[in-house]
Amino acid sequence: MKLTNHYIFRRSLQLIPVLLGISIVAFLLLQLMPSDPAVVVLRAAETPTTPEAIADMREKLGLNRPLLIQYVDWLWHVLRLDFGQSFVTGKPVLQEVMNYLPTTLMLMSCTIMLIFIVSLPIGILAALYRDTVFDQVSRLFAYVGVSMPSFWLGFLLLYVFSFKLGWFSVISRGSIVDWVLPSITLAFAPAAVYARLLRGSMLESLNQNYVLYARARGLSERLVVLQYALKNALLPVVTVFGLNFAHLLAGTLVVENVFALPGLGRFAVQSILNRDYPMIQCYVCLTAVLFVGVNFIVDLTYGYFDPRIRFGKQEL
Amino acid sequence: MRKALFRVLLVVAAAVMVVLPSCTQPSFQSSTTQTSTLTFSWSQDVGSLNPHRYGPSQMFAQDLVYEPLVTYDRGGKIQPALAESWKVSPDGKLITFQLRKGVQFSDGTPFNAAAAKANFDQILQNRKEHDWLGLVQEIDRVEIFGDRTLQMYLKNPYYPVLQELTLIRPVRFLSPKAFPDEGTTAKGIKTPIGTGPWTLADYRKDTYAVFKRNENYWGQKPALEQVTVKIIPDSETRVLAFERNEVDLIYGSDEISLDAFRQLRDSGQYIAEVSPPLNTRALSINSSRGATKDLKVRQAIQHSVNKDAIVAAIFYNTEQRADTYFSKEVPYANVGLRPYAYDVDRAKALLDEAGWKQRAGQAIRQKDGQSLMLDLSFGGDNKVDRAIAEAIQADLKIVGIDAKLLGEEKQAWRERQASGEFNLIFNETWGPPYEPQAIVSSMRVATHADYAAQQGLSMKAEIDRKIGAVLTTINKEQRQQLYRDIFTTLHEQAVYLPISYSTNIAVLHKNLSGFEFMPQAYQVPINKLSKSKPQHSL
Repeated sequence: MKLTNHYIFRRSLQLIPVLLGISIVAFLLLQLMPSDPAVVVLRAAETPTTPEAIADMREKLGLNRPLLIQYVDWLWHVLRLDFGQSFVTGKPVLQEVMNYLPTTLMLMSCTIMLIFIVSLPIGILAALYRDTVFDQVSRLFAYVGVSMPSFWLGFLLLYVFSFKLGWFSVISRGSIVDWVLPSITLAFAPAAVYARLLRGSMLESLNQNYVLYARARGLSERLVVLQYALKNALLPVVTVFGLNFAHLLAGTLVVENVFALPGLGRFAVQSILNRDYPMIQCYVCLTAVLFVGVNFIVDLTYGYFDPRIRFGKQEL
Repeated sequence: MRKALFRVLLVVAAAVMVVLPSCTQPSFQSSTTQTSTLTFSWSQDVGSLNPHRYGPSQMFAQDLVYEPLVTYDRGGKIQPALAESWKVSPDGKLITFQLRKGVQFSDGTPFNAAAAKANFDQILQNRKEHDWLGLVQEIDRVEIFGDRTLQMYLKNPYYPVLQELTLIRPVRFLSPKAFPDEGTTAKGIKTPIGTGPWTLADYRKDTYAVFKRNENYWGQKPALEQVTVKIIPDSETRVLAFERNEVDLIYGSDEISLDAFRQLRDSGQYIAEVSPPLNTRALSINSSRGATKDLKVRQAIQHSVNKDAIVAAIFYNTEQRADTYFSKEVPYANVGLRPYAYDVDRAKALLDEAGWKQRAGQAIRQKDGQSLMLDLSFGGDNKVDRAIAEAIQADLKIVGIDAKLLGEEKQAWRERQASGEFNLIFNETWGPPYEPQAIVSSMRVATHADYAAQQGLSMKAEIDRKIGAVLTTINKEQRQQLYRDIFTTLHEQAVYLPISYSTNIAVLHKNLSGFEFMPQAYQVPINKLSKSKPQHSL
């Protein structure tokens, strides 16, 4: 038990430099942007950009201070969840972001659930019934999944299920049903990939000695497959999932556009187009933290799937 | 055992396909079955609806809630609105408005001279924000007499005062109770409360805005009780929602593609309309940068673009070819300018004269070892402008000009307009009631592409002087003469490449009646619409 704590503790410590690095990048983004933030604020307020007005605004935004001071000041505010005010609306950035976050979180959760509901059974069955018709169909599913662009898939789903069949409304109506088509769109490609991946690793672990040994012990086939083979086979799938999470987040933009959902992706693009730097910084930090957080959880699950990781280098 | 597992997993997989879709209500009320509500869709959030501010508030929504003193009717006629009548003093520097009796803001506050003055004061305290608009710069002060008389004193006899009072922003009236506790309305407002026919009833950012009919409205009340604006960013989704009867009306110029418009129109199931010409799609040609400094090169560009082909291929003839920067319908603009005809030989001859020679075997003309390269800038997210830019690029290639396309996002494109770092840049006119006075006025301000484009003209100072004069002369003949001079000079100097007169398009279901286009481009004609039960059943 102590050792487990130790592993989590070790892993959490590693987060600190990562998060610091993220904050530096997010802060420096502002310096690297093509337009002067002072000019952007003035333009957003429809104020003429005379040299005096720009100088005043630079002073007001504190852009004349040394970079390091600016960074520390910014970080201090960010640690207290104060990302400043939006250049465009003048409201606190965090409040604006909170308008959009629930939609994206909901979309992500539905999608992740769907990915596992679909890819686990398909992956396991394709491995158990290798080279049967089912396996071939799952292979086809994988090919289609990875090659279909999500905006096109989303539109097709809308066309078929909303327009032709009338099962769903095109415009969201504020019920749970709204999430079905968007999460199918977003889950389609990853589910196809993970199913394929799981099939491969399942086949590998079914050939391991411990599976043979488990069968020799006369354990039920269900126990052998789920407890012995699957648990080990899930490791690579979970790793890829952690890494692909960012991809999934980026994919929400397209889906939010097609399905008219007010989510973070749309918000981010709008902010970029408006040059609303505080909003962009907040978005970068938020998604980075989400990504790091998911990977942290993924790492912790390794300990569950493979106790050797939990116990460090110590041999069992 | 394997079989059992297989069955269990199969059931789980099947559940996704079966259970989730069956969660839906088998038949939901489609919006067209309710005759008192209209669903409209728009690509962007309606914004905070502050009447004294600009983006990100959407003009059509501001127009639903707030009203002007006077309105703009087709052909430039000024009609009474919140002001019943008005009188202009002989020297043109004092306008006396009689305000309408019995008008209330939707929160019950009476609209009287004091409320009107309070709004003017808020606007005038932020003059800098409105420096593009001559009206706000020219107002000296506003005074009131009694409850219904408002006197507006001007610094100069600025003639377009009434036209500019009709604009959707910034001179419209907010209930004084909705003013912020501290500071001016430039910082924000409490709630959007106006005198207009609609009130904002419900709002969720980037999702929807619901407008209810203002039951205390002084004028002709709308037939509909409620208008729901659904925010749908994707135009193809909008078309699907429309075809599914979830949206009643599509309106605007960029809300759906012209391909989709043509398809809906040709299906014959809907009413599809094209508005009269509104504003001019044009490019500014920079007279102070690179090869386009030369008048002959600018003229050659005018002759080499095949506008008829663009109108046919890109607009499916829903727009008319434009020969002049301002259409003849624009007040004072019918001055008999001679169009630059599409004439490739003439263009080539002009370029030869300018010293840009095409050697055998070379596609691009050269002069002193330099190739004839031009920067053509457009907003990269504007699909129509992109298509036009590509057509122009191909046309220019024929005469030996290499146009480099710069498709950038909106903000960068705007910055380029202001900085003048372009040879050719897209720069639409603003349509009535801004034309011609507001655009001509803005030609003097360095943040507009017009200014950058004209900067290299030897007579720029003279043009600016005439612009100053034309806006403040009270003599109508003199005004016409000055406009004639300005338009003729700009046309002869070839600093604008007009392409077409753009239009609004509208598609609506056949159970809607009373549709007509509005005189201003950014108004959506909802007030006169009424709705009956759909003839076809779903």
